[in-house]
Order: sequence, then structure tokens, then C-alpha cells
Amino acid sequence: MLELFKNMVREEWRMHSTMFGSLSFALFPVMIFGIAFMSSFLLPLMRSNLPAGEIAILTHASFLMLGFMVGAFGLLGNEVMNRRFGQASLLAYSARSLPLSGRFIFFNFVVKDLIYYFFLWVFPFGLGYILASPFTGVPLFAALLLLLTLTLSFLSGLCIVFFLSTVYSRSRALLWLIVLLTGAGWGIISAVTGMNPALFFPPLLLYVSFSYPTFILTCAALAALFAVSVSLFDPLETGQSREVKNSFSPLLKKLSFLPNPPLAAKDMIDLYRSGSVVGQTLFSFVIPLAVIWFFLSLLTPYFPPHGLIFLYAIVAGVIASTMYTWVTMFDSFGPYACLPVRVSTLISGKLTTFSLLQLVPAVFIAGAAIVSGEAANLIPAVVLCLAVSFYAAGIMVWLTGLSPNVLVYDVKVLFIYLVLVGIALTIFTAVAFAGPVFALSSVILLLPAWLFVQKAKVKWDAVDPAGF
Amino acid sequence: MTFILEAKELSKQFGDVTAVNTVSLAVKEGALYGLLGPNGSGKTTMIKMLTGQIRPTSGSAMVLGLDVEKDPVGVRAKVGIIPEQETPPSFLTAQEYLDFVGAVRKIPDIREKAEWWFDFLEFRDKKNVLCKDLSRGTRQKLMFAQAFVHEPALALIDEPLINFDPIMQDVVKEYLAGYAKKGKTIFISTHILEIAEEICSEFAILHKGNLLHTGPVSDLTARNEHLSSFFLSLVRKDRHA
Repeated sequence: MLELFKNMVREEWRMHSTMFGSLSFALFPVMIFGIAFMSSFLLPLMRSNLPAGEIAILTHASFLMLGFMVGAFGLLGNEVMNRRFGQASLLAYSARSLPLSGRFIFFNFVVKDLIYYFFLWVFPFGLGYILASPFTGVPLFAALLLLLTLTLSFLSGLCIVFFLSTVYSRSRALLWLIVLLTGAGWGIISAVTGMNPALFFPPLLLYVSFSYPTFILTCAALAALFAVSVSLFDPLETGQSREVKNSFSPLLKKLSFLPNPPLAAKDMIDLYRSGSVVGQTLFSFVIPLAVIWFFLSLLTPYFPPHGLIFLYAIVAGVIASTMYTWVTMFDSFGPYACLPVRVSTLISGKLTTFSLLQLVPAVFIAGAAIVSGEAANLIPAVVLCLAVSFYAAGIMVWLTGLSPNVLVYDVKVLFIYLVLVGIALTIFTAVAFAGPVFALSSVILLLPAWLFVQKAKVKWDAVDPAGF
Repeated sequence: MTFILEAKELSKQFGDVTAVNTVSLAVKEGALYGLLGPNGSGKTTMIKMLTGQIRPTSGSAMVLGLDVEKDPVGVRAKVGIIPEQETPPSFLTAQEYLDFVGAVRKIPDIREKAEWWFDFLEFRDKKNVLCKDLSRGTRQKLMFAQAFVHEPALALIDEPLINFDPIMQDVVKEYLAGYAKKGKTIFISTHILEIAEEICSEFAILHKGNLLHTGPVSDLTARNEHLSSFFLSLVRKDRHA
């Protein structure tokens, strides 16, 4: 029975190594290791502005997000693969023709994700920190503990998304009930203790003060989420054909003011009917940002006044830029290749839909500004968020064309992306911290964003498009 | 003589693999031209190069008077294409997909034309079903309809009959033969030799990326030779060469 698991791991490796070449993909965890190793030497410098505990909070939040992202992509895997690679299918789906239960296959799929992505992201990061510890003066125990608690953060993100998405596939009302009850529970804890509920995030509690009972309770909670997810799992494909009324023509008329209205109308229908509008907005945008809010707000003492909303707007902008992956995940250039359409036209179409989706982060940040008593800074915060989002998306389009989902594991691509986005974020964090009104200057980011998109169109028209 | 499609020494290299090796061929207007070959012989790569979906490593091609490499979109605007593997978008219905094709190709009376195709290929009852839920045969009908809905002067179709039942194969064969009689040109890639012999006026045989033969089917008929036996002897000889 281990055969299925072994072949799922092999399949995941081949999928990535086929896209980027074995060496290039193998370098990915090496890069993560390198980043962690070198960052460890910067810790003394960072500590002069931000205490070690606060850096740990950010790191744990990042790995929680990583778990969210990995979980959200895994559940869409088959449709994404089919659209991008023609007849490609994952074992998680094709194994249904074997005498194996759906739950057993799903169990193997989730365990494979846990182990595979642990070795791809979490372990290299922890190892980098551990190997640097003799040089940075960090006790080995603390470095080992960090590896453990980061692993638990990652597992928390993954298990929460698997759990919520299996609930979502059963009953949307139940999902909302769980989300509301969790929110209310956190609110009550916060009100009773007067503390930020993010401080009660078990992996963080363990990092601050390790104890076996907390460790066992954390593991038990994750195991319970995992077990409930597997038992609730219901195969997504029912085999029934779905009839729907024609939405394309009415939508085409409504979107006729946009460039490339047929492409935009098709993308909007893809997003709506695939469940991505609700699913992705919830699992890849609202929930991660809600969690980030609590973690970031722990750092308020280290920000200038009004700093939190602007830092939050920047983070939201980066996450909002990934909406470009939402509009590209369901098709490659292949289905368009029999039509008079260039890759650059398709990129323009995807960016049009992306621009429409930016209403979500704009409303979200406006809401966050009002709720947090920062209504006066609403406009600069929204401008900063959208400018960052368009800038990061522009770089993504230039680097990856129509394949942002798959090219993220290309070391060269990711490195250039991180450098270019990192520089802009550093500059505009400083600018926004200098004064709320200065955040409006971030609108200048639209210029490089536009230039990156123009360069992207020339670049991707000149190569044979992927998807054949 | 002018040709509607002309390939000159087209080659395509994928890494170390030569998919198509200096192939030259020419197709006259009104021909039903069959590109024949076993699996992996380079037929699909050839069609992709002729429609500007991929660039040739060397050589050139003119289609309907346009240089394919210089104006691939112009070529695709004029021709109809059935790709070998691509399926219609998962989350559009059959009718929405034809509406989409009509909007991209700017076909004014697309709805009327689509209705004709639903009846002709007998899938009216599936027109509001999401493409991901359609059977392979129905998806193939839809891809066939999108390739011909704008009545192109030239259609390049890759294995168009493979998912059809014998009755639908018959309907489609008759349609293709009638289409060519109207003066339009069809470039069909297939490995179903019986069908090629039945409907094609000319043919070419590809094997391992090399062009083994081009000529009219009538030459074989005159020699009282069947296309299948001619094809097999040629390919076997090349295998042992």
C-alpha cells in the first residue's frame, strides 16, 4: 500500500523537475537553505530594531501562510494540470480506477504534500538556521526548536486549509459557521485576556516556552483536523454533467468597454464556475490576511504611528498580486492556439481580469482601515496596496508569462522576483512610515509595472508558448 | 501553378530529437490533402508549424499567401484548425464556447451558425453542458464545429475522426468531401488509412520526421494498389533502411 504514496512523491518530483530541469529544481531547497543561513548572520543587525521574539512571530506567520498556500493549490491540482498540460492527470485522480477508496487516496495525497513540501521549504530553512547557529551565538537547542515550531506552523496552515476546504465541499453554511465561531472565540479570548489572540498560536507558544503538554496538545489538534478532513472527504467529481444557462453573451455585452472583452468574459466565467472566486478569495486572500493582521499587530510598538495599516496594505498588495495566478491557472495557451490570438493578447486579457479582481483588495484594505480606526488613511493605504499589487504582478508577468503557478519553483525566476519586489517594498515601507500622505507616491510603481508588462509582451510573443 | 499552402524544407528540432526533417510539400486549392504517418512521425508538429503555433527550427511556409513565421495570427485568422489534443475550455458550455470563438473571430451571425452545427453533428441536447462534462466524442464535435464555423478557405485538421463513432465518421467524411468540392482546401492529418484513401485527393507520408512520398491518390488507383499496402511497404522499408 506504500506504492501509491511512493509514486505520488515521485510524480510530484517529476512534475517539478520536468518543468525546470532536475538540477534547477533541486537547487530550490538549496536556495531556501542559503537564504536562511545568510539571514541568520543579519539577525544581530535586525535585533537592534526588532527584538528576536518579534522576528520569530513574523517567521512563524510566514510558514503558516506557506501551509495555507500549499494546501489551497493541492486541492485544485487536477483541473490545473489538465488545463496546463493537456491530458496530464495526477495519481490522486487517476488512481480511482484502482480498487482503492477515495479516502485512502486522499490520505496519501495529503501525507505526500506534508512530507514533500516539508523537505522543499521547511527543512532547508530550519537547517540553514541550525548550521549558522555556531557562528551567530544562537544556542543549538533554540535553532532545533525553531525547526520544530516552524514545521508545526506549516502543518497548521496545511491542515486548516484541508479541513476548511473539505467542510466547504460539504456545506458552505457550515464553513461560514465555523469561520464565525472561530472569529468569535478569538474575540472572546482577546477580550478576556486583553492579549492579541495570535500570541495563543500553539507553535508560537511552544517557541516562546516549550512544554511537552502543549506540544502533545498541538500535535493532537493537528491530527484531529487531519482525521476529520480525511473522513469528511468526498470526491469532487460526481460524474454528472452540469447544464447551465448561457452567461457568456450577456457578460460579453457588459464587459464590452474593456479591452479584449471575450477573453475577460471567459476568465470571469472560469473563476466563477470553478468556485475560485469564493474559494480562492477565502483561502488565498481573506483568511491569510486576517491571520496576518493579528501577527502584524503584535509588532505595533515597533512601528511609527499609523505604520500598521500601511505595512498591512503592502502585505495585502503582495498577496493581491497573486490573483494573477488565479486567472492563469485554468488554461495554457493551447486552447487559444487554434484562434487568431497572440500570447501578448492573452496576457492583456488576463491582466484585464486581474484588474477587475483588484476590487477585492481595495475593498478589503478600505474595510481594514475603517475597522482599525484609520479611516483618515484609507485612500493612501488603498493606493499603496494596489500600486504594490500591480507592480508585483507586472514583474510576475515579465518573468513567467502565462505560467506564474509553475515557474515559482524556478530558482532564477524566484530570486529575481524577490529582489525586484523586495527593493520596492523596502523603499515604500520607509516612505509610508515617514508620513501617511507620502504613501500616495507609490502610484509611481505603476510606471515600472507598465514597462514590465510591455517587456513581457515582447518576450513571451518571441517564444513558443507552453502548453503543447 | 499557385499553391494555397507551401512548405519549404521545414524542420523542427526538440532538443536532440528531430521531429520534422527538411520537409517540403505544396497543396493546391480545392485539394483534400492527407498527411499520413504512424504515431510519432511528426504530423502534429508539421500542422503546428503550418499554423504558426510553434516556430520551425529552419525552413519556411506560406499559407494563403502569408508567411507563417512573420504573421502567425494572420494565418490563424484565415484558416480553421482542429488541434490533436486540446479540448474546449472546461467551464464554458458548448454554446458559450462557439459564442467565444465567434467573438474572437468576429463572426457576425455566430448564433445561427452554431445552431446549424448543433443539428448537423447531433449534439443540440449538449449545448448547455459544461465542456468538462462532455464526452470525448462530443468535445471532438465541438472542436470540429469551431474549426469550420467561419467557413475558412483552408482547414488544417489533426486526427479529426478519432473519437467519432462509425455513423458520425460517415457524416464527417461526407462533409469534408463536399467542402473540398466547393473549392475549399482541407489538410488532414490521420493514421486511419481507409478514411484517407476514401476521401483524399492527394497525400504525403511522413515517417520519423522524413517525407517518404507525396502524390495523388489516383496514381495508386491507376496501379490498382491500395493506400494501406503502399503505406505499409514504404514505412517498413524505411524502418529497415
